[in-house]
Amino acid sequence: MVVPTAKDFIDVTLSKTQRKTPTVIHKHYQIHRIRHFYMRKVKFTQQNYHDRLTQILTDFPKLDDIHPFYADLMNVLYDKDHYKLALGQINIAKNLIDNVAKDYVRLMKYGDSLYRCKQLKRAALGRMCTILKRQKQSLEYLEQVRQHLSRLPTIDPNTRTLLLCGYPNVGKSSFINKVTRADVEVQPYAFTTKSLFVGHMDYKYLRWQVVDTPGILDHPLEERNTIEMQAITALAHLRAAVLYVMDPSEQCGHTLSQQFELFSNIRPLFANKPLIIVANKCDVKKISELSEENQACDKLLAHRVDSKMKGKKVHDVLNRLHLAVPAKRDQKERPPFIPEGALLRRKAMEVDVPKRKLEKDLELELGDDYTLDLQKYWDLMNADEKTDKIPEIWEGHNIADYIDPEIMKRLSELEKEEELREQAGEYDSDEESEDEEMQEIRKLASQIREKRKLKILESKEKDVHGPRLPRTARKVERATLEKEMGDLGLDMGDKDDSHYVQQGRSRSLVRKRKREASAPPTSRTRSQSASRPPRDKSGIRDAKMMKKSKTMMKNSQKGMNRQGKKGEADRHVFNLKPKHLLAGKRKSGSTSRR
Amino acid sequence: MRIEKCFFCSGPVYPGHGMMFVRNDCKVFRFCRSKCHRNFKKKRNPRKTRWTKAFRKSAGKELTVDNSLEFEKRRCIPVKYNRELWNKTVEAMKRVEAIKQKRSARFIMNRLKKGKELEKAEAINEVKKNIHLIKAPHAGDSKKLEEKMVQKLAEDVEMDE
Repeated sequence: MVVPTAKDFIDVTLSKTQRKTPTVIHKHYQIHRIRHFYMRKVKFTQQNYHDRLTQILTDFPKLDDIHPFYADLMNVLYDKDHYKLALGQINIAKNLIDNVAKDYVRLMKYGDSLYRCKQLKRAALGRMCTILKRQKQSLEYLEQVRQHLSRLPTIDPNTRTLLLCGYPNVGKSSFINKVTRADVEVQPYAFTTKSLFVGHMDYKYLRWQVVDTPGILDHPLEERNTIEMQAITALAHLRAAVLYVMDPSEQCGHTLSQQFELFSNIRPLFANKPLIIVANKCDVKKISELSEENQACDKLLAHRVDSKMKGKKVHDVLNRLHLAVPAKRDQKERPPFIPEGALLRRKAMEVDVPKRKLEKDLELELGDDYTLDLQKYWDLMNADEKTDKIPEIWEGHNIADYIDPEIMKRLSELEKEEELREQAGEYDSDEESEDEEMQEIRKLASQIREKRKLKILESKEKDVHGPRLPRTARKVERATLEKEMGDLGLDMGDKDDSHYVQQGRSRSLVRKRKREASAPPTSRTRSQSASRPPRDKSGIRDAKMMKKSKTMMKNSQKGMNRQGKKGEADRHVFNLKPKHLLAGKRKSGSTSRR
Repeated sequence: MRIEKCFFCSGPVYPGHGMMFVRNDCKVFRFCRSKCHRNFKKKRNPRKTRWTKAFRKSAGKELTVDNSLEFEKRRCIPVKYNRELWNKTVEAMKRVEAIKQKRSARFIMNRLKKGKELEKAEAINEVKKNIHLIKAPHAGDSKKLEEKMVQKLAEDVEMDE
């Protein structure tokens, strides 16, 4: 995990607090709710800081808990004291933040208004952030340490290792480049390699680590710089075969005697480790250098095996190892089984017999005339039918659906059945021998239907919508009446005396009217309407009845007149939403409706 | 090459016609024309769509169980080609087809016969109820009366003689 800078840390945590805790609060809320709201924010911030700092503390390795090689390396690279101090500071900061939060949460319990609680929260958050601002240096240092630490090479201190050491520029890195897949920088200047490098190689089916160190100069331990110290650390802690590389050609810039001096100075570090002195750069100056590496590995392997055999654990393993071989139960020979077909094929392959003629050969022979005719390979009952054109469809049916070896038998059965049916008379067309009466009836029925339809059409065409006059209002013509009745079959010949004929009235000569005020028609003149009694007098016997009828009329009209209605059909509502019915609250009384 | 059956209307789908739809459960639907295809997409049930053969068969309007219909059937086991068998089959097919058509025609005719009887009864009913639209009840009365009178006179005359 990345160690954030102080500024980033503060920003992230505060924005998180804002996002992940509720933000809405009003001063009219209940006080316990307000308090809880602000306490939550304080605790949330504290929690975040605490978690992150704890994570940082646990992620960084404790120098006492790791392998002494790495502990020493880290000391060399990062200074043990500084490292421990930085982590200590972080720890203190964490505790301080916790305390701050605790105090302010306690104070918040006595906050009596929104403003006070809010100020308390501001104070708490502010103090926590200030604490963290002071840790800026520690956090930066730890971030750098983390980055460098992640780039350290993974050297397993417990596995087989070869360690290359010697003066700078003697050829240690070149050696490791050759032997392993590592790609270490090789340059003519000294101290090209500034830190440890690891490569891996295989020997005797085992993985070996080869560690390349920066060169060591000859001066006492106290005066050594960081780079050299790394080499020394490696030498000191790794149980490896040491390859002390020398340069007889003195191309590195140091004489052989100087190199030998260095060797003797470092000698105490080689205690308990197989040592090989490598004379390098033999192309420049020849000193035979026979597969030094093999010797070194063998030596180390032997050393390791020895130490292992001396250990007690080996005996346990040896007891459990046992090689099982099945015992022979009789003298019968049991050779491996090879099927006949395989044997034949093997023989054929060996003898190389020419196979049957392939299609390909045929194609080559015929050239352009060749047609792929797979039908010739068909396996049919009669071989000469192979080239037949097989019909597939007949009149909308698939012939393949009818194919059946027993079709003729079934067909004969079907035909027999058909004959039986025919004999039974199923297929005789039954003539409907209808007698004359039935025909008459049919004719009449069709006439009736026609007549009905015509009548319906007639009535539809009349197109009288709305108020209709009664049937008797219209005058019936004599001619139409007689025609209709005649169509229906009645005899309408001699009907001059019948009741429906209008008696023609004798008309006197019409005088030309003079320009005088003509007298209005009296009850006995020619207009027919005058011959009928007026409506308010028809059906009334005497004056008493007349009076009664008039009062009845007036009575029935009273209600309507009072309501201002035009008549009994006037249902107009002047006020659809009267205010006195719809306004106001629903009080006791009728609340079931409006 | 074979003539398939349309899934919707059960009509023949000739090669080069129609559409095939393969559903995700690997069921294949063939349609003879877009009418059937569109109806299928509208999720209509062919057994309820009146113009399809499926409806007609399920509603009993056409011959469903018959020996002559058992001849045309997709068989699982293929039969090896044999010229005389094929020839015989083609002839048999023609014969079977003729019988099949006769029988299904007869079936439909029988079904329609009942309608004829109903028609008869209806005509009689119609005449009984609505005869007044054509003929007045007393239509031929005066004539009959006259004839009667004439007959009576003739009888009287005879008697007199």
